[in-house]
Amino acid sequence: MKISNVWAVIPAYNEENNIAKIIKKAKKYVDGIIVVDDGSKDKTKEAAEKVNAVVLKHIVNLGKGAALKTGCDYAVKNGAEFIIALDADAQHNPDYIPRFIEKLKKYHIVFSYRKASSKMPFVLRFGNWFISRIARFLYGISLNDTQCGFRAFSKEAYKKIRWNASDYSMESEMISKAGKQRLKYVQIPIQTIYSDKYKGTTIMDGIKIVLSMFWWKLFNNR
Amino acid sequence: MVLGIQIAGFLFGLFMIYYSFLNFKRKEFTVKEFSFWLFLWIIFIIITLFPFILDPIVKTFGFFRTLDLLIISGFLFLIAAIFYTYTITRKNQKQLETIVRAMAMKRNKGK
Repeated sequence: MKISNVWAVIPAYNEENNIAKIIKKAKKYVDGIIVVDDGSKDKTKEAAEKVNAVVLKHIVNLGKGAALKTGCDYAVKNGAEFIIALDADAQHNPDYIPRFIEKLKKYHIVFSYRKASSKMPFVLRFGNWFISRIARFLYGISLNDTQCGFRAFSKEAYKKIRWNASDYSMESEMISKAGKQRLKYVQIPIQTIYSDKYKGTTIMDGIKIVLSMFWWKLFNNR
Repeated sequence: MVLGIQIAGFLFGLFMIYYSFLNFKRKEFTVKEFSFWLFLWIIFIIITLFPFILDPIVKTFGFFRTLDLLIISGFLFLIAAIFYTYTITRKNQKQLETIVRAMAMKRNKGK
């Protein structure tokens, strides 16, 4: 399958220091970049516009799930055939994008997993392991890392996995929908850089995600 | 004999009437809303001072004391109120999300 019209969607919240770097790097590999500024208090929007990215601005902070959905909806509406989702906090290296694109030739969704590193906080490692087991048990999807947001999918797959969650649990909802829809998936390893200021999933988020996964299994019919 | 709990209930009822009146004065309650709440708090005060008027209900439902009836009714009311608040909050959350996302897409279109 020929891969063309690949767009990167980057949800961002208070990332004025990282966003331009990410955009510049990602530009080399994709046809369009959409930054969704999720109600940032800093100059994330201005920083992204400076490097010519399309910026969609949420006037209030809704959460990663809502921001990514806004970006993906916009991308699909404007002709994107494939979408690469990546974080704005410089954890995800855009240089991996060609590997995602390569895998999209055969698979509907490409997940990624962070290579085991001593720098990865223990709580995060344990939470990830636990959620992975639940995902395998409930949805038959076997992933090393359920919370890594560096993902790629086709337009058709997006229509099937379009999530309702507005927060970090969208990563798991995407997995649950991919499992239910029996989409073809693959995972690739990536190296991540952990900054001191971790803004991702918290323990409370983890508990909510696990409960939600059971809920989606029972009631999320699409 | 008037019990301490009855005095507390009476004072609470009076405070809630005052609070309802404040809302009415600030034009946050309409006349209808204020009348409804005033009526409700007056009933509450009457039941607090003369709990025996509930005796027929207490006997019919097999409660030992009027207080038991009031506590159980209170719990049921609270559960219903929490559920109602939850549905309203979810609805507002969804509406807010829809509006904010639509605005983000529309603004970019205008550029």
